[in-house]
Amino acid sequence: MNVLRRDFLKGLATIPFLGYFAFGFKNNITKGISEKSKDYQKVLGIGELEAPRQKLSPSTAHDEKRIRIGVVGNGWRGERLLNTLGFAHPEALEESRVEGQLTGRLKNYEGYDDLNVDFVGVCDTFEVHAKRGGEFIPFKQEGIEKGNKKGSPIKVFPTYREMIASKDIDAVIIATPDHTHASIAIAAANAGKHVYLEKPMTHTIEEAIELRDTIKQSDIVFQLGHQNRQQMSFKIARELYEKGVLGTVTMVQTFTNRNTVFGAWIRDKAFDHHLGNKNNINWKEFLGKAPWHEFEHKRYFSWQRYSDYGTSVTGNDFTHRYDCVNQVLGLGIPETVVALGGQYYYKGYGDMPDVLSAIFSYPEKGLTMTYDGTLKNEVYRESRILGSEATIDIDGAILMYKDKQSEKFKDIKIDPSDPMYYYAPSTDIDAISTATSRAFMKGGFGPTFIDGKVIDGTYLHLREWLDAIRGHGHPSCDIDQGFEEAVTFNLANLAYVHKKPVRWDKSNEKVIIGG
Amino acid sequence: MGTEIVKKMGYSGKQIFALTFLRVLIGWHFLYEGLVKIYTPGWSAGAYLEGATGPFSGLFKNLAQQDVVLSIVDLLNAWGLALVGFGLFVGLFSKACKIFGILLLALYYMAYPPFAGLDQNVVAEGSYWIVNKNLIEIGALVVLLVFPSSYITGLDKYLSEVKNMISGRNKK
Repeated sequence: MNVLRRDFLKGLATIPFLGYFAFGFKNNITKGISEKSKDYQKVLGIGELEAPRQKLSPSTAHDEKRIRIGVVGNGWRGERLLNTLGFAHPEALEESRVEGQLTGRLKNYEGYDDLNVDFVGVCDTFEVHAKRGGEFIPFKQEGIEKGNKKGSPIKVFPTYREMIASKDIDAVIIATPDHTHASIAIAAANAGKHVYLEKPMTHTIEEAIELRDTIKQSDIVFQLGHQNRQQMSFKIARELYEKGVLGTVTMVQTFTNRNTVFGAWIRDKAFDHHLGNKNNINWKEFLGKAPWHEFEHKRYFSWQRYSDYGTSVTGNDFTHRYDCVNQVLGLGIPETVVALGGQYYYKGYGDMPDVLSAIFSYPEKGLTMTYDGTLKNEVYRESRILGSEATIDIDGAILMYKDKQSEKFKDIKIDPSDPMYYYAPSTDIDAISTATSRAFMKGGFGPTFIDGKVIDGTYLHLREWLDAIRGHGHPSCDIDQGFEEAVTFNLANLAYVHKKPVRWDKSNEKVIIGG
Repeated sequence: MGTEIVKKMGYSGKQIFALTFLRVLIGWHFLYEGLVKIYTPGWSAGAYLEGATGPFSGLFKNLAQQDVVLSIVDLLNAWGLALVGFGLFVGLFSKACKIFGILLLALYYMAYPPFAGLDQNVVAEGSYWIVNKNLIEIGALVVLLVFPSSYITGLDKYLSEVKNMISGRNKK
């Protein structure tokens, strides 16, 4: 009988253990869970974050007349901007189509709201690109499926001067080499054309002052092409900073790394550049105000590497990172800048440094910003903002770590090496960290997440400009923001060239070398 | 049927202890994973699915992108884990639990397969190629499937006894 009973009870052998485990779960582990899943606003001691709840303003495109756009510079970037607006070359459309449907980037653009613009004029100092621009067709408008109907005729202008003199153009997009930005934008503004200018804003500080004054005296709408103004992560970070989550910010670290020949802006063999020659390039027009030099194929197509035309790694890359942290912290222009580096690897292509480090000092704000860039290493590094209470790593995403000595967050039991807050753009998650949060930090600045949608930043940036032209809202990267960008990176370039500290005399708007 | 032979031959005391021990361990692992998800307010597999890599990532991402589908996936996942865990722990409906458990683990395995050249979850501890902890747990469940223990040390014992009684009565 006893044996039988014992055998019978065997079936219940694990039940006491379940009881023990369940008891433990109830008393200890649920507490842990509720601790972990605490509302982040309470943990961070802030009210509700407004930025992630931002709604897309209703499109103004259909209420008003079409805006007629001319593009100055139909190179790689110019073509991208046109794609974003819904225009593409028939060959590019054909390449993108699979079974009649657009794919990839063009498919995304096709799905966005139509911006009610006409692409009506193009000019480029490279004849091949100018001609190609003239062949673009709209791919978003009804009845133009599969390229069987042309949109408005596109006029190919010999230079930007004829374009801005034309009564058929309302606004221009400028995507030309950096040394021509100011003269084209100033001429356009004086002619009453609205301006979308690719970054960096100007080749020199003097040009930045002249352009700013011109824009301020005009009635046109100016937007600088820092599309990362549209990234949700920076809007959230700004709010966190303004609400005091970071404490006192004393240091900002920015980085850019590349490790390819193309990435080092050696591009005379890239794309269709082999087609270029003395006969189909308007060399004099390209040079503009730059010192005279005989025609040279590589100077034209790898212009970024020559300080006569380009603005170095600072103008090309640092400006992106600067504009991102400038949005968050409202840094403005530094008082003193030092920069050291050199051209050690890609010799024989202009005078651009391969390795550059710069320090930007902001005594009034009690902080220093640094920039490190190399063209011989491609490790990915986010920008880092170091505050007395917390540190954030930021790009399109945010990871925030509490400071080990933080007063504000001393009651939060989290290892300072684990993020206490993160924002992951691809999933629109903003929450207290989980163990997997690091996996979202994939970097990059492509599309952003707003109002429940994933949208390309450049599209939003262009749209903001067009809305402002129609009288709704204000461009986020206006001339004042652009001025700060242009002066800041140009100070670094001057410090590098002169191998001396360079000071910005704010009240007289003058540069003091060695100051 | 292999399991029938096992049942006829019977286990030694150590064998039944080892099998029960393994069943309880895996059971608690599932039950705990499920309970944490059920008890965590606003828990969702959305982020996990969005981050999926490998040949089936499109499928997992699609699941995450439809709100209704995602809420069903969340419900099935959390309660599935908890019920499978409970079943294994107490030895109730053990066979079905093992099969469903293997299915769940296979889905986790496929969402982040440890194949060469794929972005891995950077915080996962250890190094894996093809074989990871999910696959090993699948293996352990397969062992438990062919060496059942719940008919001795689980509530299934009473189910099978009741079943035997009924079938015995019917035969009479």
